[in-house]
Amino acid sequence: MPTQKKPPIPISGVIYGEFIYWCTCISALIVVFGTIKSFVEGSSSDIPVEQLLDAVFAGQSADAVWASLPVGSTPNAGTYLSLLNTGEAITVLGICFGVLSVGPAIFLSAAFMWRSKNKFFAVTALFSGAFAVIAPFVFFLI
Amino acid sequence: MNIFKRLPELQFLILITIGCYVFLELFVKSSVLNSDLGFSGVDIVFISFILSFLVAILSVIAGVGGGVIFTPIMLAFTSVDTLIIRSTGLVVAMFSGLVASGPFMRKGLADIKLVFLGALPILLGGFMGSYAAVKLSEHFGETGDSIVRLGLGLLLAAIALVFVLGGSSNEYPQDKIKSKLATKLKLRHMYWEETLQKPVKYNVQNVKIAVFLLFAVGVTGGFFGLGGGWAVVPVLNLVMSVPLKVSAATSGVLLAMGNSAAIWPYINIGALIGVVAAPWMLGQIIGGIVGAHILSSIKAAFVRKLLIVMLFLTSFKLLSRGLEGLFNISIPFI
Repeated sequence: MPTQKKPPIPISGVIYGEFIYWCTCISALIVVFGTIKSFVEGSSSDIPVEQLLDAVFAGQSADAVWASLPVGSTPNAGTYLSLLNTGEAITVLGICFGVLSVGPAIFLSAAFMWRSKNKFFAVTALFSGAFAVIAPFVFFLI
Repeated sequence: MNIFKRLPELQFLILITIGCYVFLELFVKSSVLNSDLGFSGVDIVFISFILSFLVAILSVIAGVGGGVIFTPIMLAFTSVDTLIIRSTGLVVAMFSGLVASGPFMRKGLADIKLVFLGALPILLGGFMGSYAAVKLSEHFGETGDSIVRLGLGLLLAAIALVFVLGGSSNEYPQDKIKSKLATKLKLRHMYWEETLQKPVKYNVQNVKIAVFLLFAVGVTGGFFGLGGGWAVVPVLNLVMSVPLKVSAATSGVLLAMGNSAAIWPYINIGALIGVVAAPWMLGQIIGGIVGAHILSSIKAAFVRKLLIVMLFLTSFKLLSRGLEGLFNISIPFI
């Protein structure tokens, strides 16, 4: 049995961790679904997964990999959305869902930081959260 | 086995993932790929998942992020394009940290204030590094790949040296002097050490230098697709005098946050291949949860030794492949 008292755990950290944890678990489920769909749809898909893996493990560059597929050109963050009927795009969507969960988690945590009178860290958290949310859109500007 | 009973979501995820791969192996026709490996597409996915699970446990305990293990090994031993490897490396580095954030914060191992102190420099650096990687690849092609392998080889050797020189005496740094800035920022100074069954106190040092170093870590992590956790632990532990276990946990949370920006340049040029990254991501999530629970109850020192050996061996292979590519030579026995 512990003889000394455990130090308190900051609520802002717990909120951040829990939000990310559950979003990551959800993104894993989306990715599992996407993987199954990729293999089940086979060569009938716009992004046939066997052909894709073949090209990747043959050492082709990203551009050459995509050029060898029926989809023809390299998809970017925007064009993936128009390919959401394919397993590959759903898989990427699942990964992106997990990645994007960071922004809202930081904002939530920042709110609790502010309430617990840690204003400096609440402000740095807000900047970080804003950057995490803006980062995907930066490419449409440059 | 306690951990599996305590976390029904972990059981569910393992069941769903294994179920998925068993279904694919049994019911989906998958032909052998045209590579030297001799495996079918489904086999590759399943093997990747198992490897990723093991890498995740190891990397979470060491606080380095799976990218440090995944990216160099893939670059050294496969012919997959470097940008595809580096984008997958960021996914690997990120997801074990993302999922481990929950247990780390719940147990009070990760320091949320240190996380937010380092988040912005790492986010900015990571984004700039990955953008530079994409531009380098566009302009230098094959030569760029060799430069990346050579640079990463040197970097890995340097990281291994940092771990060697750091030694095991930094598990609980004993700085008596309190930094003025750390006191002003009310940085935390205590955590509960499960193995000692008592709280451990610490005084955070060198805040300004650490912020600058974290930016540099973000740049290199984004550029090489390593994540950056490999250097966050030394920065927190050796520069800021944060205990090793808190450093490892905080580093895991920080690098997941940093990579969330670094991944976008790769996605935008189609370098993130979902079917390649998926099994690695799933392995990182499940292995990350397991690793995060193991970390609180073990001594991290032995993992560091294992990591040092692996880093040196991989850096050796990377250096030789980089030299072979740059000078069009063949180095025997490697």
